[in-house]
Amino acid sequence: MASRKKILLKVVILGESSVGKTSLMNQYVNRKFSNQYKATIGADFLTKEVTIDDRTVTMQIWDTAGQERFQSLGVAFYRGADCCVLVFDVTAPSTFKSLDSWRDEFLIQASPRDPENFPFVLLGNKDDLEPRAISAKRAQQWCQNKNNMPYFETSAKSGSNVEQAFLAIAKNALAQQNSTVDLYNEFPDQIKLTNTQKPSGSGDSCSC
Amino acid sequence: MVDTVVYQQYLQSLKSTVESLLVTQVANVWSIYGGLNRLYLCLEKIFKHGCKGISQEGVFFNFIQGLEWLQPEPSKNYFSVDCEYHPQIPALLKNDKSLIWLYKSLESHTLSTKLSWLLLETSHLHSCYESWAFLCQNQYAEATLICLKAVERNQVTFLSEINPCLFLKNANTQGFVKTHRRCFSFPESHLKFSGKTKNNSLKDIPDQNTLPTGTINEDKEKLILGKLKPWSSLPALQIDSEIKIKGNKGYFLSRTTPNTPIHTKKISPSLLKVDYNALQPRTNKATLKKPVRKEKEPETKIRRIVINTSNIIEHTPCSSTYQRNGGVQFDETMGSSGTYERDDRFKGFLSHSPLSMVDSFLPMQGTKDYSRHRPKRFIEDGGMSILPMATGYFPKPTKGQSLTSFLTSSKLARSNAELDRENAHFSISEAIISAMEQLKCNRDLNLVSDEQLDDSDPEIMDLKQRIRLRRRQRYMETKGKQWCGYIISDERTDTTVSPKSTPPDTASYVSSSEDIDDIEIDEATANLGESQGLSMSLASLYSDADIVKKPRGVPDGASDILSAEGVALSLISKFNEKHLPKASDLEWLVSEEDAPQALLPLPKSWPVDLEKPTTPLRGTKDWAPPRPQIVLALHPAPARKALMEKQNYRCAGCGMKVAQKYASKYRYCDYLGKYFCTGCHKNQVALIPARVLYKWDFKGYPVSTFSYKLLEQMYFDPLFRIFELNTNITKLCSNLDFIRKYRLGLCYLKEYIVTCRFAETIQERLEQDLPSYFLSKLDEYSMDDLVNIKNGDLKTKLKFLVDICCRHTSECKLCLARGFICEVCKSDEVIFPWQMRIVSRCIKCSTCYHTKCWKPTEQCPKCSRIIKRKESTSSTSR
Repeated sequence: MASRKKILLKVVILGESSVGKTSLMNQYVNRKFSNQYKATIGADFLTKEVTIDDRTVTMQIWDTAGQERFQSLGVAFYRGADCCVLVFDVTAPSTFKSLDSWRDEFLIQASPRDPENFPFVLLGNKDDLEPRAISAKRAQQWCQNKNNMPYFETSAKSGSNVEQAFLAIAKNALAQQNSTVDLYNEFPDQIKLTNTQKPSGSGDSCSC
Repeated sequence: MVDTVVYQQYLQSLKSTVESLLVTQVANVWSIYGGLNRLYLCLEKIFKHGCKGISQEGVFFNFIQGLEWLQPEPSKNYFSVDCEYHPQIPALLKNDKSLIWLYKSLESHTLSTKLSWLLLETSHLHSCYESWAFLCQNQYAEATLICLKAVERNQVTFLSEINPCLFLKNANTQGFVKTHRRCFSFPESHLKFSGKTKNNSLKDIPDQNTLPTGTINEDKEKLILGKLKPWSSLPALQIDSEIKIKGNKGYFLSRTTPNTPIHTKKISPSLLKVDYNALQPRTNKATLKKPVRKEKEPETKIRRIVINTSNIIEHTPCSSTYQRNGGVQFDETMGSSGTYERDDRFKGFLSHSPLSMVDSFLPMQGTKDYSRHRPKRFIEDGGMSILPMATGYFPKPTKGQSLTSFLTSSKLARSNAELDRENAHFSISEAIISAMEQLKCNRDLNLVSDEQLDDSDPEIMDLKQRIRLRRRQRYMETKGKQWCGYIISDERTDTTVSPKSTPPDTASYVSSSEDIDDIEIDEATANLGESQGLSMSLASLYSDADIVKKPRGVPDGASDILSAEGVALSLISKFNEKHLPKASDLEWLVSEEDAPQALLPLPKSWPVDLEKPTTPLRGTKDWAPPRPQIVLALHPAPARKALMEKQNYRCAGCGMKVAQKYASKYRYCDYLGKYFCTGCHKNQVALIPARVLYKWDFKGYPVSTFSYKLLEQMYFDPLFRIFELNTNITKLCSNLDFIRKYRLGLCYLKEYIVTCRFAETIQERLEQDLPSYFLSKLDEYSMDDLVNIKNGDLKTKLKFLVDICCRHTSECKLCLARGFICEVCKSDEVIFPWQMRIVSRCIKCSTCYHTKCWKPTEQCPKCSRIIKRKESTSSTSR
């Protein structure tokens, strides 16, 4: 169906700070890498056109802030995501341990229709670096428990496996979208973000 | 070092050319044959020095191109880069546009303005010139501007503004940084000229020949509209009073009676006297309560102006560098009709005066350039830069300390208060005179005692006699020699006064009275010197040697040649140290009684700031100088008698004692709640923070000069947590609640705006329109804010800003994505923290929920998840 329609895939990248979320996105979209670290504030996105099964789709990749201090802004963009990418640093065990909480947080905030089958992809980044703290086996084991989540080991620096990983992400997202479209057909009262928020400056006092 | 020589050479040639042009006093300087060309050549050298990247158009064409974008919009035509070749321009320059421009600007008397614009933009300057270029040396560039201005105004006296240290070899110019310029800080925009022709009465004013007059307006009668005081100071000097002055002398007097001494080349010492005379009526009249309004005699009218300047000078922040703005601003204000219409937002907030007091705080067009020399804010230095008139501080010599070491000690230089500096002249001159007397006395005693020694032995007597004769002979010889030297040195000063003899007018405290003091000391000591046959003279004070070498033992930059101790040092430098009495042996005018230092011990951990000598605020037994305080208390209505008694009938500003029957002349300072003498309190009016905070009273009340400066300094500082200070303040002004909410809302909005790459214009807007503290320290307000709340400007401004920010966030993809979704009801509506009527925000994790879904008193779902996670990670790691 809807092959003539322009397809927009919304992908959200999550993970602890400094695991390389922004670098992965930049490597994939711009094919650039910088050693300089700059914390992402709030959230930002880049878009890239990809062709999957002869269909051109636009990937809108949302990069988020891993640092807690930048999480004072909201995460309304989780809503309507087609795929969630979880990233950890293969040399930093703590980033692996926190994956569960990132996944849970995403499911709560995004509240997808079918949380059980929502597509996640796990990326173990910085596989060019030594020493490894999380083996591929351990990561794969974790994935198996999570509805057979696909796992890729990537390096945003060298660019290895990045292309493949994002292709898999796009495919998963597309599959997800097709299924939700079906759902939408069943439930026609579809989601729409309201853009007409008006401020209420003279409202009741806020405790914050 | 080599560079300095070059700079000096260039400046020297420029200055001497200017001097030679102006010395003849012709109406048009260019009518002097070759004058324009000579000056042009000097400037060409300067402009070419260290110029980067020569463009095809001309040597420094890139540099002057800057005018295209540097100049302010309205004056575009005035500054246009005019490079067209005219036949009267020397053919040599034909191919170089920049040189033509230079020539033309110089000829049209616009160069200083243009150059000052160019120099102001340092980034442009450095992009066009090497760092070692002449124009990149701030001091020298400034001196160049002074020279140009002198030519344009046709006033040789301007040259005295040049820092004399620039001519010194190995000069430590650091120590002579100008911190205070009283003479030109006079807000000239207060004088409005609208003149039409009539005969000039040059002869009305004697001794004016030395002061070159404005050539263009020479034959015009000027009508000076005396907008002399925006603050209703002396009651009789009313705002908008019209003073008619024949000739433009009044104006020039007001600007050329600088308190800085003028010892320029070729200006005879009589000029000093002119200044002195001109100042005399001023000092007398300044305290007069009832100046006659319509005087006919021109001379007295001129004095009137001077009176006013004296008043204004006192409290104008001396931030403007005259060289940069003075001339320009003069031209501007000549034509402009409404000087005060600049900032409409302050209009009408002071009920009794159309010229609101706040206006005088704000940078006046052309008079104050806050961007370059912004005075320190109260919040930055705690008001320590504002000195009371006097602190009653005079150091005491330690026992056995020599006179020289006492005078060179930094303690003396530390007393920075104006009155203390002036009073130091009295104490020190008194001490020096007594030192001289003691010297004289000792010598006589020695001669006598020789004779009185035992005369029993005839042989000894004989020997003694011979020794005495020999001594006398010797004495006469040396005396003769000294006299020769004396005469030579005197001649030298009369004939050639080299620029090096220009005394530095750098120090902040060089004031008119010091000129007078100098003369008095000179005369006194000269007489003393003559009677003793000692080689002291006026010449010795200003001779090259003194300034180049500096008086014996003076640390670099520690003291000024014209300060009390500087003068004293140059006097005693002629004596052998060992003959001088010890400083502690002398009777100092300041008695222990007056300055009981021991009674007021300084804290042991007094912060020693080497850069700026701190003033030890001392005072005496029954008086303490005012301190830079933020007074938040409302004073009870002043009861003069009780208060004056409490103040021991002393002025709170300078400690001057007043007889009870004259206590009524003292003026009440509404800020400090004390009485001040008329010297320390000039009836300037200011907003009183306490009155604003507790009574919402924005009237101006008379305050002392010290308080005025202090209040002016803190005007823009966020010093008042108004809701804490007065919990009922919202009842006084309904706008306050609104402002508070909007400020908070805007603070939330800012988080989104500053991190959004699509909101750059709004970011700039926020930065421009609001002071930096405004969205970070939400409960702090400045007096400026309160004034703007009162007149409603802040409300309008905030409303507008909130509006554009909200419009942006409701349309911007990125900002919408950063909004919140209420995780309790999971509705798809994006909510933001500033929607305070429907949204509640958790203080800890700043997550937003619908107010109907979650109350701030409940446990926040996200917070509980965070806590749970932390617990689990800490347990697993264990």
